[in-house]
Amino acid sequence: MVLERKSLVIDERDAASWIRDGMTIAIGGFINSSHPMAIVRQIIRRGVKGLTVVGPASGGLDLDLLIGAGCVRKLVTAYMGGEHYCPVAPMFRAAVERGELEVWECDEGMYYCALRAAAQGLPFTPWKAGIGTSFPEINPDIKVFNDPITGEPLLAIPAIKPDIAIIYAAHADPYGNVQHIGTGFGDRALWRAADRTIVQVERIIPNEEVRKNPLATSLYGVDAIVRAPYGSHPFAAPGYYIEDAEHLREYVAAATTYAKYGDRGPFEAYLRKYVLEPETHADYLQVIGIKRLIALHEY
Amino acid sequence: MTREYAKDFTTKELIATFIARQVRDGERVAVGAGLHVPRAGILLAHLLYCPNVRLYVVMTFTNLLKEPKMEPFYTVTDFRPAKWAEAYVLHDDFQENPRLVSNLFVVGALQIDPYGNSNLIGVGEDYRHLTFRGPGAVGTTSMAHYVDRYYLYVQSHDRRIFVEKCDFISTVGWGEGGPDGRRRLGLPDNGPIYCITPLCIMDFEPQTKRMRLASVHPGVTVDDVVRNTGFELIIPDVVPETEPPTVEELQVLRQRIDVEGMLRI
Repeated sequence: MVLERKSLVIDERDAASWIRDGMTIAIGGFINSSHPMAIVRQIIRRGVKGLTVVGPASGGLDLDLLIGAGCVRKLVTAYMGGEHYCPVAPMFRAAVERGELEVWECDEGMYYCALRAAAQGLPFTPWKAGIGTSFPEINPDIKVFNDPITGEPLLAIPAIKPDIAIIYAAHADPYGNVQHIGTGFGDRALWRAADRTIVQVERIIPNEEVRKNPLATSLYGVDAIVRAPYGSHPFAAPGYYIEDAEHLREYVAAATTYAKYGDRGPFEAYLRKYVLEPETHADYLQVIGIKRLIALHEY
Repeated sequence: MTREYAKDFTTKELIATFIARQVRDGERVAVGAGLHVPRAGILLAHLLYCPNVRLYVVMTFTNLLKEPKMEPFYTVTDFRPAKWAEAYVLHDDFQENPRLVSNLFVVGALQIDPYGNSNLIGVGEDYRHLTFRGPGAVGTTSMAHYVDRYYLYVQSHDRRIFVEKCDFISTVGWGEGGPDGRRRLGLPDNGPIYCITPLCIMDFEPQTKRMRLASVHPGVTVDDVVRNTGFELIIPDVVPETEPPTVEELQVLRQRIDVEGMLRI
């Protein structure tokens, strides 16, 4: 009998079918970069509800889109905005102010504590920063306790365990060896904490490429690989393309119309045009258009 | 040697120069992407006074002493400055030891109270029904805790920001004040050093740890500051003007750092 190593490559529809109502999912990247958008848009198309979304330590407009599309019940992140595109993410702001979204309030340090506790199977990670702040009041999961060694007060940041982490990276081989270009932000923390990890990549590379430089492997043994060129669009992909500023401004304008004036029309139109009507990632790229996409390589 | 001061400069350039004077050679300094003025100040310190500063620039560490001029970058995820990288910073490493990232930090705020406690969470009496939801704490809570020195920095100075009591505290300042305000909370004594605004510089009076006017920017009166501050500030008998940029500082700022003129608009 000849044994074959199994390819872990699936498409974005298979990947999104792993996500079910009410799950805790983690989404990688950082604010305006490196989000697995082909999978995120497919989650919205499937109409998944009631998710607890563990964003990156600082979340961006990818999460804002999921919130606006009604997929998210609870959000775990320390920031929600688009830097100079918008100081506060509009659908996030609207959902919180209307009492429709629960926020697990934390700062970036506390956020990594929660993931680390999950990765290590511990009930919590102790953390000092945050004593004297409102965090233990506005996030009742965070407890103040006295350190048994010094008697000083500490915060207990409880574990948050994602069922599935969905991460964007530049490359992977078919067997779950992943290469980021650049730092990979906090993606390793999501991978360490989650039960399963799906990585969406720009290109699938041969296993021989991976073996040329194993130090470049940033995540190993992940559960599935999705190939989606331009798959972080409209966000940046280190080494490939910068963020699509014009598209992000279009999104912010549509979402802000709801956040500020209560008119959901422009956001719904955005959702139809860019998410619901294109059936696949390839269809989405057709809507964006080749001229726009290749212009993002010039920076 | 007397310093030759520049005569024509903007408030943003003045503040950048003030921030430049806070940096010490050899330390680690995070260069924020979104806050143009503190970023320019830290780079100014590096190019003129602190050749060995270890710069944390958009998830990399580097030294930019020999760069003739800074190319612009606008976000913390802009990967173009990675061409300067001597090391990548994995963002989750930040929790392993925040002091490896920076020895000083600049904290923004929606609200600041007289003791320098600050709020980035939101505005409203009830957390479940906020009237304005802010962006969130980002890394300010933890960075301000672990660094040696932190500074509060706001881009406007009014009574909505400077309030008697913050609706929520995301970064602790000097607690409820007093000489041991932080120690009573079980915290080290590294509360905010200055609060920097478009009108003035404020510090914290050592006994009460209440905010005190340290200097006003050119063209601003003490009364302007008092009128725009929603709590009682400590006003010393003599309030100097904020020290202006030198001719050399302004030249380096304009020719090598703020090439695009972001600080001049």
